[in-house]
Amino acid sequence: MSGQGKSIWDKLENIPREVLYGILLVVFVIPMIYPLGLPVPISANVRKWYQTIEDLPPGSVVMIDFGYSGGGEPELGPMAVAVYRHLFTKGDIKVICMSTSIEGTQLWDKAMAEIRPEQRFGAQYGVDYIHIGYIAGTEVAMAAIGKDLRATTSTDYKGNSLDQYPIMDGIVDAHSFDLLICYTTGGDQSEGWVRQWYTVYGSPYMCSVLAMMVPTMLPYQNAGQIISVTSGAQAGEMEGLVGFPARGIKSADVITLTHLLCLVYVAIGNIAYLGKRFSGGGK
Amino acid sequence: MSVTVKKTIPVVIVAVVAFIVMMDYFLLTPPVDVAGKSWTSTTVTNLQNWGVILTAFALGFGAVNLFYFHSKHISRRTPGQWMYSLWLLIVIVIFTGIGVFTGPTSDQYSWLYNASYFALSATVYSSLGFYMTSGLYRALRFKNVESGIFLVVGFIVLARNAPAFAVYFPVLRVWGSFISDVLTTSAQRGIMIGGALGAISLGIRTMTGRETGFLGKLTEEERGGGIE
Repeated sequence: MSGQGKSIWDKLENIPREVLYGILLVVFVIPMIYPLGLPVPISANVRKWYQTIEDLPPGSVVMIDFGYSGGGEPELGPMAVAVYRHLFTKGDIKVICMSTSIEGTQLWDKAMAEIRPEQRFGAQYGVDYIHIGYIAGTEVAMAAIGKDLRATTSTDYKGNSLDQYPIMDGIVDAHSFDLLICYTTGGDQSEGWVRQWYTVYGSPYMCSVLAMMVPTMLPYQNAGQIISVTSGAQAGEMEGLVGFPARGIKSADVITLTHLLCLVYVAIGNIAYLGKRFSGGGK
Repeated sequence: MSVTVKKTIPVVIVAVVAFIVMMDYFLLTPPVDVAGKSWTSTTVTNLQNWGVILTAFALGFGAVNLFYFHSKHISRRTPGQWMYSLWLLIVIVIFTGIGVFTGPTSDQYSWLYNASYFALSATVYSSLGFYMTSGLYRALRFKNVESGIFLVVGFIVLARNAPAFAVYFPVLRVWGSFISDVLTTSAQRGIMIGGALGAISLGIRTMTGRETGFLGKLTEEERGGGIE
């Protein structure tokens, strides 16, 4: 048999990946079906993000970039939904959305189906919120929209003229916006907005990115170029602050348990490695 | 084709365009119109809109190129490839057909996107979690001092990123903040400044015709190698 002659340390050091994956799957599925309600602390960055929106004066205009792809939706979608709910709850904020990701319009539709602005908040498309569509070119698109929005696009994502929507009255360029928000799975977008809007126009900017991208964005925040950087994995915290518990809170339980499992795996791997080494089996 | 057409003219176009864009950023060049915009501002607006249009055109051109490339595999019956190429083209035709005839914001197109591409891409991305878990178990081991430091830092960051842990062990937030705000940020800044300096250098080389990678394949003489 393949296991004959192997010490306990050998077996522990080489647990088959099928076993590792199986346990992970169980730990993942259980809290999705039966939420445990583990505590979710509110981090400083999420609080800063929330407060920035709270401090927006009535009549403010916010630009949102739906710059993420379908792969990133499970992480960034809940954050986008929670923030939209916050903006709609305030009631007097105009939200103009665009997409630097080609899938952005589809994902925006998906988010709106979850938020239901008309039914839940009484918000009206074209009056309180709008989507001006996918603008190709990433940084070129950001620069073009910042310089002259109407010269870059004259229609919304459905192909209707922007002139017919009251929300677009007085919207000219980057100076027309009081806050810029970006959700993205790509560094081109999250860093591009700093280069094309913050540096040029001084636009207040916040971004929510994949958790693994946060370290690359922190230097911008620490330099004061971004007000707050959050990861989509913190959506549960935002939902808690906004008062709309949804997918993010459920994910928080999963994140805690799967991280705990990862720590257990790391501990087992090291105990096995050191055990083998000290028992004379290692190099 | 002569060196003038293949290299000199494209480099001059790039240099002039880059110069105008930079001029608009740093200077307010007269004459200024009633809206406070200079001639460079209007020119740059047009250039940026060309950029947006050209990128959108490149997407369509990419689809045509994809057709050309995969049609060859199908006609040659390339072993292990042609059926995937055929499937790809069928999917492109279905998406394009529904998008063109019902509109990209129609219920039909949204259903197709959500039921196929969205579900698949989210699944593929999520499956990374399994590989990473297995990788953690096998790679994060105390083999020497360097890997020991990596292990300790990884352990702290993992624990800090688990929401409930930070509640029960508040010290994790302090340690995690030190790692992200001091260690990671300082290293990341070095990388970013290095990258920015490289980008400036590449820009200058491109504008002066010393960097010719964007022109495609050139002979040694066309690159200017024969001149030295």
